Amino acid sequence: MLSPERLALPDYEYLAQRHVLTYMEDAVCQLLENKEDISQYGIARFFTEYFNSVCQGTHILFREFSFIQATPHNRASFLRAFWRCFRTVGKNGDLLTMREYHCLLQLLCPDFPLELTQKAARIVLMDDAMDCLMSFSDFLFAFQIQFYYSEFLESVAAIYQDLLAGKNPNTVIVPTSSSGQHRQRPALGEASTLEGVEASLFYQCLENLCDRHKYSCPPPALVKEVLSNVQRLTFYGFLVALSKHHGINQALGALPDKGDLMHDPAMDEELERL
Amino acid sequence: MAAVEKRRPAVAPAASFTDSGRPAVSRTAAPADSEEDFLRQVGVTEMLRAALLKVLEARPEEPIAFLAHYFENMGLRSPANGGAGEPPGQLLLQQQRLGRALWHLRLAHHSQRTAFNNNVSVAYECLSASGRKKKPGLDGRTYSELLKRICRDGEAPEEVVAPLLHKIQCRDHEAVPLDVFRAGMLTCFVLLEFVARASALYRLLEDPALAVADRRVGQAVLDTLEGALQASDGAPVPARYLEAGSRLGPDSLALAMDRALVARRPSSPMTREEFLEKAAALFIAKVKPVA
Repeated sequence: MLSPERLALPDYEYLAQRHVLTYMEDAVCQLLENKEDISQYGIARFFTEYFNSVCQGTHILFREFSFIQATPHNRASFLRAFWRCFRTVGKNGDLLTMREYHCLLQLLCPDFPLELTQKAARIVLMDDAMDCLMSFSDFLFAFQIQFYYSEFLESVAAIYQDLLAGKNPNTVIVPTSSSGQHRQRPALGEASTLEGVEASLFYQCLENLCDRHKYSCPPPALVKEVLSNVQRLTFYGFLVALSKHHGINQALGALPDKGDLMHDPAMDEELERL
Repeated sequence: MAAVEKRRPAVAPAASFTDSGRPAVSRTAAPADSEEDFLRQVGVTEMLRAALLKVLEARPEEPIAFLAHYFENMGLRSPANGGAGEPPGQLLLQQQRLGRALWHLRLAHHSQRTAFNNNVSVAYECLSASGRKKKPGLDGRTYSELLKRICRDGEAPEEVVAPLLHKIQCRDHEAVPLDVFRAGMLTCFVLLEFVARASALYRLLEDPALAVADRRVGQAVLDTLEGALQASDGAPVPARYLEAGSRLGPDSLALAMDRALVARRPSSPMTREEFLEKAAALFIAKVKPVA
């Protein structure tokens, strides 16, 4: 059944919701790159294949980072591809370093930024020991949060800093996502007597943030759940909790539950055929 | 699609997750003009404009999947592989035509009247196109086949839609004019939606353990529905809807259901099929038969 709201949106908003123009422009760019190989009637077929691959989530393979992070669907597709390609890494219980995971990421995206992989690793390791080993599932779920919700996390970091500095939430101006770059990373143990910030206060600030960034936040109800279990928490404690939350993973819809991480019958079937 | 070594215009990512502010495309080597010329020459510009207009008209829930199907159909329309090989048989062509017409008809919901009517016209043209052994125009047999296909795909049980088909079908070799075609298509789609809603209604009435509804209650609902449909048949349009709406409102419908339950008549089950058949019959009774 059709949902009425969709029919009432102004054209531009409707298109923006599903990033239709992003994909159309990218389709044309791809066409231009391959124009020697395309005949008159091949163009329709080219676009068919392009949009089909977008639907299936294979369109992000070997593409540049700027495209991979351009839409939520692209990010989710990339996470899913990473899982499907490398899940066997976890099968034997192998542990890898941050740099090794980064190499795997670069196989799928040649210009994937190291900074992002580092941030993901920090969520797992909770400190600066970048040489430590990580399990596949730990890294994958931390990476998911870091990559999919990048902008949100930057804003959260800024809010956390403000709260640590003792600023009253009523006077805190919620920063835009681009200003996160200038903030220092909160160092653990910086607070004088108590560590971290008060959970309920933190949630209030986050709730405001989620209202503004409707499409790039974890569901507010689930964030509330995460914050209701504790009195106080640190920034990385918060991120770890996010990465381990089943509900948030399911809401994102890219990866299976942690228990099913090794389970991919479709891929197994394909590998059998080879 | 590997894009590693190839020179490509860099697309700056949007700051947040909306398409606000189109990403700037920066060119590296070749002049922009030659690429724009190329696109216009091969018809890409026009093709994409038409596709975008279609998306805006249809407003599908999944625009990307819609676009994939759209271009797939476009590919079907052009001669396959430059015309080499045997031309497809008459039956295959017929099936393709039906498929294409169906695709057009489903692009817009019947409540989006302008868009729906446009699509009906396109579907009509598609079916009326002359083939090798076919005269131009839509014949009754193709029309009937299309009606049956629509009902089958709409998951309405055959017994439910059969009376409708009887009323609006044309004889096999009769020519079907556009206005008859349009009326028939509209009636068909509205009936399918009606049946779907009746089905949802039945699910509310049915006893989850027994998977049937109480006949008394089911009949009360149907009687009220009939009354609402017949109410103020001669009145002008707004009054008619208000009257019908009030008959189906809680104070009217709920009372009817209540009364049915407390009446002394014994209870017996009413199956979903029976409920749907009777509900559809109420609708079909209002359909004018084709002359």
